[in-house]
Amino acid sequence: MKQVIYILAVISVVILSSCGASKTPKSEAYKGMYDEKPLTVLIMPPINRSTNVEAKQYFHSTLSVPLSNAGYYVVPPFLSMEILKRESAYDSEMFLEGSLNKFNEVFGADIAIFIIIHKWNKSTIMSKVNVDIEYIIKSTETNEVIYSRRGEIVYDTSIGVSGGGLIGAAVSMAASAVNTAATKYVKVARACNNYTLEDLPVGKYSPNYGQDGEEMAGKKEFTKSLN
Amino acid sequence: MRKYLILITLIGVLASCSSKRTLYTWEDYDKTSYVYLKETNEETRQNLLNSYQDIIDKQKGTRGVTPPGIYADYGFLLIQANQTKQGKKMLQKEMDMYPESSVFINRILKMIEE
Repeated sequence: MKQVIYILAVISVVILSSCGASKTPKSEAYKGMYDEKPLTVLIMPPINRSTNVEAKQYFHSTLSVPLSNAGYYVVPPFLSMEILKRESAYDSEMFLEGSLNKFNEVFGADIAIFIIIHKWNKSTIMSKVNVDIEYIIKSTETNEVIYSRRGEIVYDTSIGVSGGGLIGAAVSMAASAVNTAATKYVKVARACNNYTLEDLPVGKYSPNYGQDGEEMAGKKEFTKSLN
Repeated sequence: MRKYLILITLIGVLASCSSKRTLYTWEDYDKTSYVYLKETNEETRQNLLNSYQDIIDKQKGTRGVTPPGIYADYGFLLIQANQTKQGKKMLQKEMDMYPESSVFINRILKMIEE
């Protein structure tokens, strides 16, 4: 019994810390977002500094969903990607420091979101993926960074089976095998996006627009286990 | 008694972080868009087009409308598949629903005309 209570206490602490936050309200941490009230966001092709060549695509295809769900207008991702390619602007690295005014003119974008994949390491035995990823939102008007978060995320891709035991383990292995690699890593990217962007002040299409300034902002740099 | 207290506390803690319904629903868009990006061919394009149609037809999000970019990308894929007339109609729908898109979409329409 004592052990059970102990385990429960640990679980509670873990859960609580996962929704824990810093002591800075969002209106202060992301002041630019509240001042500029951006509506339209352009997704820049992710910058991949990891050794995994495919990591870029995992993130590019999963970013529009959380941004839209947060209440923003996301410039159509496939259409914008095509234009960026045609205009030889597909290498986002060039724009990290430079002026983004052109993106306002061409795409009508108020802000641009950059993702830098610093690390994407798969561990074959533990079915875990270690990701070090940074999200940067810049204003296309002032070129200032108005939102940024960087996280070390460990994602466990094995499917959790409660109950455990031998049968549980067997089921778990089969389920992992069925889970194709592609879908698996898209899930990792989605989890990273969702977690890191959860802190984003909501946009115009959200019913909570303009009302989340008092909420506490999450940590700018964080470490997190997801699955 | 103690057990119940612990249970109630846990439920309370969990409920405080539970997720809400989202503004939009996306069917299997995450998967089909990734596969299309990775390998563009007739089959992957068709699967992505089906996702767009499903997102439009089976929308269950709290806003009850098609999410940003869906009509436009749908139209773009149709135009690439030489269904230009139908594709342009979709681009128009994007502008009707999201006027902030018109700067960009009008530019695209102009490019198609040329």
